[in-house]
Amino acid sequence: MQSLSASSTAGVLLDLSGAAILLLAFACLAFAAGTSAVAFHSIELWILAVLTLLIKGLAIPFAARRVLVRRLALKRDAAMSTGLSTSLLAGGALTAFAYLVTRPALLPHGTAAAAVVPLSTAVILLGALAMVVRRHTVAQLIGWLIVENGVFLGAITLVATFPFIVEAGIFLDIVAGVLIMVVFVSGLTRQLAEASATELRELRG
Amino acid sequence: MTVLAILIVLAPLAGPATALAGARARASAVAQAVGAAVALGCAIALLTQLAGARPLQGWDGFLYADSLSGFFLLTVAGVTLLAALGSISYIAAQEDSGDLGPFQVKLYFTFFGLFATLMLASLETGNLGLLFVLVEGSTLASAALVGLEGHARSLEAAWKYVIISSLGVTIALAGTLFVFYSASALHPASNLALTWPYLLAHAAALAPQSLRLGFLLAVVGYGTKVGLAPMHTWLPDAHAEAPSPASAMLSAALLNVGMYAIIRFLAIAHARLGGTYPRAVLLSFGFASIVIGALFMVRKGNFKRLFAYSSVEHMGIIAVALGFGGILGLYGALLQVLSHALAKSVLFVASGDVSLRYKTREAAGVRGLLAAVPVTGGALLLATFAVLGSPPFGVFLSELTIVRAGFARGSPIFPLLLLALLGVAFFAFARTITAMVTGSPPEPAPASPYRDPAAVAVTAAPLILGLAALLVLGLWIPAGLDAVLRQSAAVIG
Repeated sequence: MQSLSASSTAGVLLDLSGAAILLLAFACLAFAAGTSAVAFHSIELWILAVLTLLIKGLAIPFAARRVLVRRLALKRDAAMSTGLSTSLLAGGALTAFAYLVTRPALLPHGTAAAAVVPLSTAVILLGALAMVVRRHTVAQLIGWLIVENGVFLGAITLVATFPFIVEAGIFLDIVAGVLIMVVFVSGLTRQLAEASATELRELRG
Repeated sequence: MTVLAILIVLAPLAGPATALAGARARASAVAQAVGAAVALGCAIALLTQLAGARPLQGWDGFLYADSLSGFFLLTVAGVTLLAALGSISYIAAQEDSGDLGPFQVKLYFTFFGLFATLMLASLETGNLGLLFVLVEGSTLASAALVGLEGHARSLEAAWKYVIISSLGVTIALAGTLFVFYSASALHPASNLALTWPYLLAHAAALAPQSLRLGFLLAVVGYGTKVGLAPMHTWLPDAHAEAPSPASAMLSAALLNVGMYAIIRFLAIAHARLGGTYPRAVLLSFGFASIVIGALFMVRKGNFKRLFAYSSVEHMGIIAVALGFGGILGLYGALLQVLSHALAKSVLFVASGDVSLRYKTREAAGVRGLLAAVPVTGGALLLATFAVLGSPPFGVFLSELTIVRAGFARGSPIFPLLLLALLGVAFFAFARTITAMVTGSPPEPAPASPYRDPAAVAVTAAPLILGLAALLVLGLWIPAGLDAVLRQSAAVIG
């Protein structure tokens, strides 16, 4: 088991640097949504882009940081169930796998989608990897958000977007999901002193 | 018809409205039951209007109901009614004993009603994206029910449930995305392209590669909600930790909603890709679930976990039936959905009464149920044999149909394997329950947790209602229901 100090940039995404990375990722997404808005002259897409930037890019990471890290004083270690090098290798392998499965036959050559869909598949897989190897409940939550981002990235390039109502609904779900999860994490943290999935052992079989 | 469809969705909100207005547990539960009864009545009315008529369509395909949706609406509304009836004395008793505070009671009814509403709404939309939104919404609403009791154990179960299910449904969203993309050669308006009647009508023009990927991702994603192995890991914990009527809702309503979503994707995939590929996918997940469910039932322990593994097994049976296909297989699958839902509602509601009286959820701590509480004990025993497929109950008929469908497919290996696994499940399940029901009750006899005799009488209502419906299904399928089942099976193809 590997444990990294909070000062390391490889620490859980709850560090300020981590929050910045998240912010950047969301900003990229919002930018992508914005560009497609230009292409489609659609005011709805602009609304979504702004909402994405504000809520997913700013509100969720900072609120998570405030509530979970400061108030609950979570230990900011990057407890993982595999070694660091193993998980890095696994991440690399998953990225390669994403390119392998989405390249041939599925997508027309030379389009934006052909370049971005393998990337979004890789983002989905890496998010899932983070959920698997990280022991922290908060890290698992962030893993889920990364998976969600991967799907959004795919949606933007593959089919422009989902219909507006659907897109807005997905958005609402994510916000409500994060709220509920934060409630559970803080409840669990209070009871277990440390929200670490290794200690979630009572229910088995 | 549109009015009926809207009324079905809104009626279960009667419970939350009453609870939020400040009513105590019993009044809120009665309002919840009345709301569910209205929803059930409307579902039946909608079904009779849909019989032989064109499906209900509106709002760019966001509203869509055919006989298949009508059938699932009937099932979910019926389960909601049974669970709401079960809540009347269960939650009131917990409120009296101080296990649940006033805030928790309010929380329970708010999310119970919301959960029912979101599930019913997800059955009435033709838009696959909106289906995702509503199913994910119902996950979040029910997570609050799972974590209601607020112990470390229930919070842990709720966390596991919400994170695994959310990831699952997100994978289903990726599947939806690829199905959406497979239609891009048609250049449809974006609202239309994601509605499944449109996709079904234009199935021939869909791109097979991405449809194949989309179908697989959708089965894995919604399969997480259904509890298909190996994505079932949240299910036993959530079912064991939720208050018993809420467990009934999870097992008998939520799992079926997930199955409904899979059926919609199956219809599209079947129309474009033919039978072989979807069949292989469903048979693999189905048999994996039956094996896992049957094997884990052998373990003795928490009886609510036993029921939960039985749900995994039954969802596997339904997936296998869908895999067998043909009118016979689909008919059997739908009949299994309804009869399993009824039997499991009775089991979980009865388990609520048992755990209140014996103050334990461990099977080893319960003895002499039949002598101590004849109605609950009898209902538990009858529902056990019903869910295990003994005649003369509905599950027997549906499992017989499914096995026949398997033999009709040609190879006898799969139906024989199915029969063997059903035998294992029968032995494991019945062994635990008969030990609980028979024997002499502990000394001193467990005290009644209820305030007055009326509350005791109310506990019997959902049990008797559910068992009566199961018995009717086993002896004779009403002509109207038969027509609905045939029409729905034809929708799937």
